[in-house]
Amino acid sequence: MSRYEPRIVGFLCNWCGYAGADLAGTSRLSYPANIRIIRVMCSGRVEPAFILNAFENGADGVLVAGCHPGDCHYRSGNQHAEKRIEKTKKLLDLLGVGSDRVRLEWISAAEGEKFASVIKDFTEKLRVKGPSWLGKEPPSTRTAHDAKESIHDVLKRTKALYCQECGKCSSSCPVTRLDPSYSPRLAVEKALLGLEDAVLTDKGLWSCLTCYLCRQRCPLDIEYDELIRTCRAKAATSGIAGNCSHEGVLFSLSRIMANPEARQNRLKWVPKEAEIAKTGDVLYFAGCLPYFNVVFDDINVKNIEIAQSMLKILNAAGIRPVLLENERCCGHDLSFAGDRNNFEKLAKMNMAAITETHVSTVVTTCPECYRTLKIDYPEFLGQPKFEVLHASEFLTNLIDEGKIKFPGKLPMKVSYQDPCRLGRHMGVYDSPRKVITSIPGVELVEMSRNRESALCCGVSAWMGCGRHSKQMQMERLAEAKGTAADLLVTACPKCQIHLNCALSEKLPVNKEEVAIETCDLSVLVARALNLTQSSNMEMNKK
Amino acid sequence: MSEKPTVLVIGGGIAGIQASLDLAERGFQVYVLEETPTIGGRMAQLDKTFPTMDCSICILAPKMMECFRHPNIKLLTYSELKEVKGSVGNFRVKILQKPRYVDGTKCTGCGVCAEHCPVEVPNEFDMELGIRKAIYMPMPQAVPRCMTVDKENCIECKLCTKMCRAGAVDFEQQPKDIDLKVGAIIIATGFNQYDPSEIVEYGYKKSRNVLTALEFERWVCASGPVAGHLLRPADGGIPKRIAFIQCVGSRSSKFGAPFCSSVCCMYATKEALIIREHAPDVEVHIFYNELRAFGKGFQEFVNRARTEYGVNYVRSRPGEIKENPATKSLTIWYDDTLTREIKSLTDVDLVVLCPALLPRDSNRKLAGIMGVELDECGFFKVVHPLLAPVDTTAPGIYVCGYCQSPKDIPDSVAQASAAAARAAEALTLVQVQRKG
Repeated sequence: MSRYEPRIVGFLCNWCGYAGADLAGTSRLSYPANIRIIRVMCSGRVEPAFILNAFENGADGVLVAGCHPGDCHYRSGNQHAEKRIEKTKKLLDLLGVGSDRVRLEWISAAEGEKFASVIKDFTEKLRVKGPSWLGKEPPSTRTAHDAKESIHDVLKRTKALYCQECGKCSSSCPVTRLDPSYSPRLAVEKALLGLEDAVLTDKGLWSCLTCYLCRQRCPLDIEYDELIRTCRAKAATSGIAGNCSHEGVLFSLSRIMANPEARQNRLKWVPKEAEIAKTGDVLYFAGCLPYFNVVFDDINVKNIEIAQSMLKILNAAGIRPVLLENERCCGHDLSFAGDRNNFEKLAKMNMAAITETHVSTVVTTCPECYRTLKIDYPEFLGQPKFEVLHASEFLTNLIDEGKIKFPGKLPMKVSYQDPCRLGRHMGVYDSPRKVITSIPGVELVEMSRNRESALCCGVSAWMGCGRHSKQMQMERLAEAKGTAADLLVTACPKCQIHLNCALSEKLPVNKEEVAIETCDLSVLVARALNLTQSSNMEMNKK
Repeated sequence: MSEKPTVLVIGGGIAGIQASLDLAERGFQVYVLEETPTIGGRMAQLDKTFPTMDCSICILAPKMMECFRHPNIKLLTYSELKEVKGSVGNFRVKILQKPRYVDGTKCTGCGVCAEHCPVEVPNEFDMELGIRKAIYMPMPQAVPRCMTVDKENCIECKLCTKMCRAGAVDFEQQPKDIDLKVGAIIIATGFNQYDPSEIVEYGYKKSRNVLTALEFERWVCASGPVAGHLLRPADGGIPKRIAFIQCVGSRSSKFGAPFCSSVCCMYATKEALIIREHAPDVEVHIFYNELRAFGKGFQEFVNRARTEYGVNYVRSRPGEIKENPATKSLTIWYDDTLTREIKSLTDVDLVVLCPALLPRDSNRKLAGIMGVELDECGFFKVVHPLLAPVDTTAPGIYVCGYCQSPKDIPDSVAQASAAAARAAEALTLVQVQRKG
């Protein structure tokens, strides 16, 4: 067996770190040959996604080197780098990769010595630590079984062959209305004409939100969402990828979780006083909330509160839920971005882990997990023995059975954003409304586009967040604001992320027209039960 | 046997009427079973007919009267089929005649009772756009001309009894069982309109300026709820722009029905013409999918609508109709599929949805009683769609009109005559066999 030699990827800033390395070289300083250097213009350019990507591809350590504080060639790039590395370390800890596999160093152009000693030290430490488990299994490529299906078979399976070309889909599509270059009808039409290349290379393929509005309205029930998903998988095998938001960090996280070796530390969010179990009737599937909480900590959403609230509610109802120590991403986003291979890996591992606990009910707070566990897993792995419920359904049952009782009034007007996956995809419209209206004092005011006609939050599967997404978000927020509600309740962590993100940026309109507080359904319920004082509740009041 | 050979016709619409008249003229005894208080059916509700633009009731009423007066025809209105036993040549039928609480032999249909009746109920004949009283005649041309008390809504104030000079109101009337022996049966139950409120994006029943086609027929009919004035239903304003939407629930695997209702393209064109004749300055847009103008004179009719009447045809099934909450005007979002542009038509005063026309739900019950089969859509099944188009799966029972398959009035009438001929044939054969 060959001796383990750590592989280090170094992102070195052009002005300091790289120049330092150069000096080390010209000074003929010796240091271990374990580093592979990538020159970047600034350490601030190094996104968490880059680092995760390095680990995905077998790196044992990542070094980011920039200019000393105050010396940044771009004034504050290294400050950004510091924040990003901090975030990345948190993610690596959650993933169980270990935050000590990343190092941020300030190395100036004059510090050749320092560069050499850093490498020596880092290499030595990594040698002691041993190889990253991520290197054991080569990363999966984005291949797909779907790719084997001919475009004609896809059209047949998704009922697109019945298309009457009536234009109901395209005139309903919220994306087409803002960007006429994409339309569900044109996509189907091209496919019907047999123009496979045109379909797969069309930028519009990645613009679709798979929000299901077209399918909801299509008189022939053409499965556009499935058509788009399959075409993306086909495109992905030809090396075409969509525009991933956040540089694809969320996909990296999902892919890393798809590694069978992954041993995550994902349960740190569970409060000490909370009661959880290893086996039981109910399993709470928290999804990627611990990760979102890190990735989106700068846009005023505390995603983990959703999980914490749900746990408190379950405990209050006398339920000790099972939490999976090594729960993995459900794979929804990978699947909708065309990465069927990793999706299937995740599905198998999650399904096995859940089945092992012998629970009868799985509760999710995320509608995407809900759809994936309830429809997509069984479609691929067969019907499981457990039932999958979205939090809104489970809470409705708890309220109906009198297991949770609201102690007092919560006098406020709220509006409700139907998540695409919960509403149109799964047909759950009433449960969340029932939960909201059973809180004494809460008045539900509907936006004009609600239930089947609800407007999507603008982004799905972390694909192509752009101008049109922002436009949709502004439209939706204005609609919510127009109801004179105090709070916009969402039942999907991602709706909340996207709407809050839109509000955290420079607004194209007056703040008064769109600024509305958002809150997840579970958080609202926990608050009404006096189980939590949400910090998120106060966010937009500043 | 001295008994006259007898036929039961189920349904008093235009198909049932035609079959009855054909048989009666040939000397057969005919019973017409109709569930509502009057015969006439859907055709009586229409304002005009395509492509000749005849006044519908004007050509139908004489036939209705002929039915009523024919010595060989007996009308069993306001009645239900309860039981059918036996076989061809010898069906034993039980019918329940619901009490009208008005003596048909005394009532002159003067309507004084209704004038005084204090209870107002939405009028089913006017698609519930207008009102009637608890004692009522569905339409002025009702046959038989006799009032009916709607017991469900009647408060039994007996004002009608007091006001009736003929002494016809009789609250003591009881349901009547009628037993018949008939040699053959003809089914002509017609259609029902699909309720498009399920297609939420069109706002039917939410936006008041959105009507269905049958509602619109009543709305523009001179004998309808607003005496044929062309008005906006929401506020009675004068419309400037009207749009029709075709295939609402038809040709759909999800909503309504998978088949084409076959008459909508043409009646929408007809209604467009009615609008332009009423008010030549009103814009009319018809959103269609495929313009199915397949009958004699139909394409010419559409061409006339386009050229002479300036009706605008748009090839599209609109995505949604949005109501302006303040003005109640409508905006239609659509993909002009010929130019591939997403457009909106704003300030639309009235949208007429052309819903799928469905075989009646009650067909299932009827089929069970008579022992005949329905197809997967709920139409009465025929033995061979090409070569035996009126023979149901039970010998001696025939079918005609929309309840067999989607068709327009001329086709319904033609099929009714065919069904009558087949029934006559069966009865004659039975007679010959009996006489030996």
